[in-house]
Amino acid sequence: MIRFLLILILLIGVLLGGYTLLNRDDEADVGAHTQLMPTMQTSSFGFARAIEPYDWEFPADHGAHPEFQTEWWYYTGNLAAENGQRFGFQFTIFRRALTPFEPVSDSEWRTNQVYLAHFTVTDVAGNRFFQEQRINRGAADLAGASVDPVYRVWVDDWQIKGISATQTRITAEASDFSVDLRLEPGKPPALQGEQGLSAKSAEPGNASYYYSQSRLSTEGSMTVNGKTYTVSGATWMDHEFSSGALSDQTQGWDWFGLQLDDGRELMVGQIRLVDGDKDPAFSGLLVEADGSTRLLAAADFTITATGTWTSPHNGAVYPSGWEIRVDIGEAEPLELTLTPLILDQELTEGNVYWEGAVRIEGDATGYGYAELTGYLNAMRGRF
Amino acid sequence: MNSALLRLTQRHINRRLFQSLLFVIGIALGVAVGVAIDLANKSALRAFELSVSSVTGRTTHQIIGNVGDVPSDLYRQLRVELGLRRSAPVIETYVQATEFDNHTLRLLGVDPLAEAPFRSYLQTDDPGLLPALYTLVSVPNTGLISQTWAEREDIQVGDMISLRTPTQATVQVHVVGLLIADDNVSQQALENLLITDISTAQEIAGQPGMISRIDLILPDGYDVGQIEAILPPGTAITTPATSQGALSQMTSAFEINLQALSLLALLVGVFLIYNTVTFSVVQRRPVIGILRSLGTTRRQIFSLILTEALILGTIGTVLGLGLGIVLGQGAVRLVAQSINDLYFRVSVERIVIDPGILIKGAVIGITASLVAAVVPSYEATRTPPAGVMRRSAVEQKTRRLLPLITVGAIFLILGGVGVLQIRTENIILSFSALFLVLVGSALLTPAALVIMMRMAVPVMDQVFGVLGRMAARAVVRSLSRTAIAVAALTLAVSVIVGVSVMISSFRNTVADWLEITLGADIFIAPPSQGTARLDVNIDRAIADQAAMVPGVARVVTVRTVHVIAPDYPDLPPVNLTAPDGNITKRPRRFVWNHATNGDYWAALQAGQVVVSEPFAHRRNITPERNTITLLTDHGEQTFAVVGVYYDYTTDQGAVMMDQKVYRQFYDDPYLTAVALDLEAGADMQTVLDRLRTETLVGTGLQAQSNRSLRAGVLEIFDRTFSITIALRLLATLVAFIGILSALMALQLEHTRQYGIMRANGMTPRQLRTFTFIQTGLMGTTAGILAFPIGLALALILIKVINVRSFGWSMGLALGPQEFGQAFAVAVVAALVAGIYPAWRLSRLVAVQALRSE
Repeated sequence: MIRFLLILILLIGVLLGGYTLLNRDDEADVGAHTQLMPTMQTSSFGFARAIEPYDWEFPADHGAHPEFQTEWWYYTGNLAAENGQRFGFQFTIFRRALTPFEPVSDSEWRTNQVYLAHFTVTDVAGNRFFQEQRINRGAADLAGASVDPVYRVWVDDWQIKGISATQTRITAEASDFSVDLRLEPGKPPALQGEQGLSAKSAEPGNASYYYSQSRLSTEGSMTVNGKTYTVSGATWMDHEFSSGALSDQTQGWDWFGLQLDDGRELMVGQIRLVDGDKDPAFSGLLVEADGSTRLLAAADFTITATGTWTSPHNGAVYPSGWEIRVDIGEAEPLELTLTPLILDQELTEGNVYWEGAVRIEGDATGYGYAELTGYLNAMRGRF
Repeated sequence: MNSALLRLTQRHINRRLFQSLLFVIGIALGVAVGVAIDLANKSALRAFELSVSSVTGRTTHQIIGNVGDVPSDLYRQLRVELGLRRSAPVIETYVQATEFDNHTLRLLGVDPLAEAPFRSYLQTDDPGLLPALYTLVSVPNTGLISQTWAEREDIQVGDMISLRTPTQATVQVHVVGLLIADDNVSQQALENLLITDISTAQEIAGQPGMISRIDLILPDGYDVGQIEAILPPGTAITTPATSQGALSQMTSAFEINLQALSLLALLVGVFLIYNTVTFSVVQRRPVIGILRSLGTTRRQIFSLILTEALILGTIGTVLGLGLGIVLGQGAVRLVAQSINDLYFRVSVERIVIDPGILIKGAVIGITASLVAAVVPSYEATRTPPAGVMRRSAVEQKTRRLLPLITVGAIFLILGGVGVLQIRTENIILSFSALFLVLVGSALLTPAALVIMMRMAVPVMDQVFGVLGRMAARAVVRSLSRTAIAVAALTLAVSVIVGVSVMISSFRNTVADWLEITLGADIFIAPPSQGTARLDVNIDRAIADQAAMVPGVARVVTVRTVHVIAPDYPDLPPVNLTAPDGNITKRPRRFVWNHATNGDYWAALQAGQVVVSEPFAHRRNITPERNTITLLTDHGEQTFAVVGVYYDYTTDQGAVMMDQKVYRQFYDDPYLTAVALDLEAGADMQTVLDRLRTETLVGTGLQAQSNRSLRAGVLEIFDRTFSITIALRLLATLVAFIGILSALMALQLEHTRQYGIMRANGMTPRQLRTFTFIQTGLMGTTAGILAFPIGLALALILIKVINVRSFGWSMGLALGPQEFGQAFAVAVVAALVAGIYPAWRLSRLVAVQALRSE
């Protein structure tokens, strides 16, 4: 009897065990993925393009230009705490138009504009790089860029906002780092390229409208690793908008915004082509201490990498450290050596690129930011 | 227990295969019905939970609003001012695919850019997906549907589907992608989903400036007070668990009712097993006597019989589990249909086989087999070593026990009635009492059978002569066999009577109520399919235009919305219905009405409310506890309840408020339905045609006459009870098997007696008639006994179970139909069950039969 019961229990156990194994789809979570029709055109067809020099009008042109496909407000700065500890920060808001024409709708959610913000802090002493991003639609006041009543570019609670006739304030709070900075320009906006028309290749239209505020004196507070620092320093601001600015041959670019201790700023860069050459159309700019500018042709400067850094995150190999020679019309070229403040300043969420603070030595000293794109994937078609 | 005895068992089962088969079928059916209902209930609930989680995802908190609305700007405040990054706006509503038989889809409007933390299927981590998701965002009227539905309806990516939405009669949506579920369960949950960007959802089915809710993932320990501080009036923060709990609570009474009914089938099965085991014991008395005289102990005999029951019980249980899974597939559709009609949308395609339910079924099946076998097994041990026991001795003993059984039965019934007197919300307790009454009634069967047969003898004598007399006496002579067969049949037929009377009483009550409340001649509302009625917002202008139609004398409008009752966070939102005039034909009936002079309309206009009976039941509203607090668009507001009216619209109940009062507290200009009274002499069809061809064109609304609306309601009512009817049939099937097995036993037992009858010159035809008279008498007895027992069951269902489960009171409606039908079932089942035994008897060879002894 007992034996029989045991066998019975065993039998039931085996049967139920089998069933349990069969019914493994018993989790509470509903999982699925999406198969989508590849309908979205990424060409710049239908958008305004940068062909003619632009007729700038400030403050209106600080705001958004939704008829262009891509636009960004790019703040990078080198700051120091009162104890001398050095920090870099990047706060960028990108705008992307999904379609050329603004839709008409009763819905406050309807838009063709998407805003994306990248926020990073480089903690030099701690050898740490913090990054976070925000994305939202340019609708229902969730994200946007405007100059009415004041200059304001924002995504969620991250924003750049005009707080007086000249001052702007950046406030951004990420999960474990934040900044609250006030910025004040010492010079008027410097137009890049030909009256702000910055060519990216020889073909007309492969260009952007582009101006820089190459030195914004900056002060405020920064919280990193749970510690809040009072910081000050200088920030470089770029505002650029375009549609299909890059040629089909573009692999990526290297860009340098350098603030020299003698009061000058220098922008140089190069567009790398898929075949390994550089596009000769890209120009640089020297901003004198008094705010006057000198356009630099591609032939006027050379950028030579002195080392490489391999990303531990994705294996991309970036140049790291540069020798820069610039003919600024003087007898001797300006020779600068750039060294990243820390090696790993790679943004790895979404689009992957390296954007980091560098130290300048050589004929002049100072700090700057370098931006290296297209080392993991080609950038053509993305901007 | 040694192997020699086990072999004996094996031989016995082999020799009496047919009988063993009946045992197995009895237990298998009993287990199968229970398991099927359990599986169906569980699967429907699970499907519902999954479809909820498919739209809530990993949400920890939700901000919900009255009338289903939350201002969009609140989302901006949460994100831009409070910096709540893990927040997502949602517009959720039902739409119907007009080209696909008005298939109801759940429209989920989301912001793909905010979705990632919430629902897995719109992940934007994959950069390759981003441009395609941007299509959804930037191109109006684009949406995703499930692969399952697309394949079933042969919809391709790139196709357009036509929808009817709460705000638009018809709108085209371009299918730009498919949702592909990761597993079967998800597939079911996603099947009826239509996902669009939130802007598209708002444009095709929403209101500018409003969304349905905001989903939040708040970190542990987040101070919800920060959010509460900025909530505008008419919104509240809750958790998905609370709302899901509240919704699944809605169906719990419904499920318990089904489970209890399925247990009835098993109860009938237990009688059957008892019968079979007793028979096998009696039949082997000589063998048992020999075994005992050879030195087999009582314990061993006990084990022998019990083991037989265990083996057959196990085989029956395993078969029952398999059959239960098969039946469950069918039952789940019926259960889901009822849930759809009564509670909420749920789509269940297949059952989820839960090992827990199977274990429960196995335990119940085997326990039932053992319990039913214990008494006969014990009886077997009483056999003295010398095999002198005769059949007559057993019958004598049964007759001696009869008074005891009858007294016991009366105690059980009294006990059951006593338990029913306990004022409790516990439905399981109430059902236990019902079972006591039923088992007690079943135990009364032997006594009743004796009395009835005594009365039948002269009648049978008159009709069939000596054969009839013999048959009636034979039934009593084999009381230990026949009583149990009759008891099983009586139980089954009583269930048929009880449930039928309950359903027809309910139906009558609902029909009466419809007659009273649906006073208007024409009703304008969106087309509905049970609870799938779209929560449509009808523009006031439609009512004004309808008033202009020639022949229309009066227009009454109703607004029905769901609002939040802060005092009852565990219950679903309150159905608030706000008419602007009275459309009832006769005065509404009230459970209690404390309005001055009974004039509840005056009270409503003065800002008080009345609530329906189920509402009062669920929220325990009494003349003493007579207030209800609702969250209005101007903050919380407490209303005095002046009366409780009878209403059968929903078992969740409703609050009725005057429409003017409603508009004061809720910023909502819309209507849900419009009722029209015609002028005397106006032609209904002319007005309907005019409404359909002019006023309502392009609105997606339907004009229905009073009669067709009433018919529609009753149609849904009938559909709701289809599962109950199916259960009723299964109980009958079990009873049929029971009576068949009892008759087989009788016939086998009496082989010698029949041999003598044949030897004495009775023809095979006479023997057949004899059998049929006997079974016919048993069936008739069961049919007659089922009247009072079924009526008692109906009364308990109506006056106790329904009131305690759903808060519905209804009048008892007795018709000859339910009883006649049940009586016919009893007699026919008995007669049909007699066919096989009769056939075997007529082939009986007298000599062999006599020798068999």
